[in-house]
Amino acid sequence: MPPRKLTVVISQAQGANPAKRQLEEDIAVAMFGRGDVEVSVVPPLVDMTADDPGFLFLRGVPGDVVVASWLYPRATQWVLDRQGVRGQYGKTLLGDEDGSNDFSDVPRTDAIRAAGPTPDRAIYCLDLRISPDAATFVDEIARIAEESRVEVATLTTLGLPAVTAQPPAPPKKAEAPKRRWYPVIDYSRCTNCMECIDFCLFGVYGVDDAGAILVEEQDSCKKGCPACSRVCPENAIMFPGHKTPVIAGADDGEDTGGFKLDLSKLFGAPEKDPLELAAAERDVELLRDGRDAVGMQVGLRRSKTRDAMDDLIDELDALPL
Amino acid sequence: MTAAEETPAGPPRTFAMGTHEALFPSDRVYAEKTHLWLAPSDDGRYRVGLTAYSVRLLNDVYFLDWSVDGGTDVRDRQDVGEIESSKAVSSLHVPAAGRIVSFNESVLADPSAINTDTYGEGWLYEFETDAEFVGVDEYVDALTAAWDRDQRYLKKQANA
Repeated sequence: MPPRKLTVVISQAQGANPAKRQLEEDIAVAMFGRGDVEVSVVPPLVDMTADDPGFLFLRGVPGDVVVASWLYPRATQWVLDRQGVRGQYGKTLLGDEDGSNDFSDVPRTDAIRAAGPTPDRAIYCLDLRISPDAATFVDEIARIAEESRVEVATLTTLGLPAVTAQPPAPPKKAEAPKRRWYPVIDYSRCTNCMECIDFCLFGVYGVDDAGAILVEEQDSCKKGCPACSRVCPENAIMFPGHKTPVIAGADDGEDTGGFKLDLSKLFGAPEKDPLELAAAERDVELLRDGRDAVGMQVGLRRSKTRDAMDDLIDELDALPL
Repeated sequence: MTAAEETPAGPPRTFAMGTHEALFPSDRVYAEKTHLWLAPSDDGRYRVGLTAYSVRLLNDVYFLDWSVDGGTDVRDRQDVGEIESSKAVSSLHVPAAGRIVSFNESVLADPSAINTDTYGEGWLYEFETDAEFVGVDEYVDALTAAWDRDQRYLKKQANA
C-alpha cells in the first residue's frame, strides 16, 4: 500500500491583497513539488457556505489535514468543526497556541454535543499571518507530514487499518464568494450557559438534538456585530474576521494581534464596558430592522439591575423562618 | 487639491510627527477624536476623509472595508468599517451622529489614493450631520496636546 499523502488545504484571504495571494501561491507551488503531500486551494473559510465545494472536499479528507488560513488557528478549527470537518487539534510549532482546553471542573459543551466525540485524526491549523515568508510554512508542513506518517505507521502496527479512501478531486476555483459574517463557538470553552441564545434577538442561535448550543442560522447574523461574543462569560464565541484579537480567536494573553498596531482607540473607538458595548451594538441592529431598541433590559442575566422585588426577596430570605 | 496649496482660508497648517511634517489644509473642518477631515460640499453635506495624522500612523493602506451600507443613519463614533495597512489596523468611526450618504467606491476598490491624495481623491464617504467641528488651528492644537499620550500608546503596543 502506498503511503497516504498528507492533505494540505490553503484557504484564500478575503479581498485581493497581492502580497497575500503571492504567499498562498508560493506555498502551493512549493507543495506541488513534494510527493508526500497533496495541496488544494479553497475560498476564504468563513465565506464558504455549507455546500461549497471547498467544504465538500474538506469533509471527504479521511486522514490528517493541514489547513492554512488567514485566521487564528482556534477560529479555523471551530469554523471547520461547525461544517462537519472535525478532528483533534494538531499541535503546530508555529506561534504559541496549543488550543488546549480549559482544565477547570466546569463541564464543557464539547462532551454533550449531538455531533458526538471528536474523530481521532489531527487537523493542523496554520495562521498565514505569522510570516510573510513561504518557507516558514513549507518547513512546518514538511515537519507535520513526517509526524503524520509516523502516527499512521503506529496505528497500522496496532492492527488498525489506515484509511485508504482517496479524497475527491479538489474543487475548481470559484468566483469570489460573498462575504459572510457569523459567530463561531469554541466547544472546548463553551459551558452551554445559554447567555448567547438569550442575548441575540436575531435567531442566530439554536440547540442541537442533544441540547447543546449551536450557531443554527449563520446568515441571520448582522454583519459587523460581535455583541454576543462580548456577552459570553467564557470567551467561547469568536468572529474570525473581527479586528479585535480576542474576538477573532486569539488565545488569552496571546500577543495582541499580533502583528500590527491597533490604532482603533486613537481613531475614535469608544471605551466602554463590554456588556454596554454589546447592548449598544445590538440596539443598532434592532433599529436597522425597524424594531425597538432594548438597551440592557433584555437577555443580560448577569447585569440585571436590582429592583424592589429583589430587595423584598432578600429580606424574606433573611428572615429566621 | 494637494495639502500644500494655499486656499482662500490661508496656508495649510503643519504638525511635526518626529521628522515627518503632517499638513492640514485650512479650507475644511476637523474631528479631533476620530482624526477625520470634513470638507463642506455645496449640497450641505460633508465629504469626509482621514487626516495626514492618521495616514502617517497607518503608512501604506491596502485594505478598506465598510460594515454598513450607504444611506445608513449612524450614532456618534459608531464603528462603520475597518482599515488595514502594512503596519497597522484600525476600526473606523464616524465623527458624529448623522447619516452616511454614500461611500467613495473608487477608494474602496483601491485605497492607495488615501496615501497619494489624502485630502482629495482619498475621501471616504459623504456625510450628513448637524454636529459642529473644529477649525484647523484647534485641530493642530489638539494634536499637540495629545502627542505625548498618543506616542506612549503606540510605543506600548509596539513593545507588547
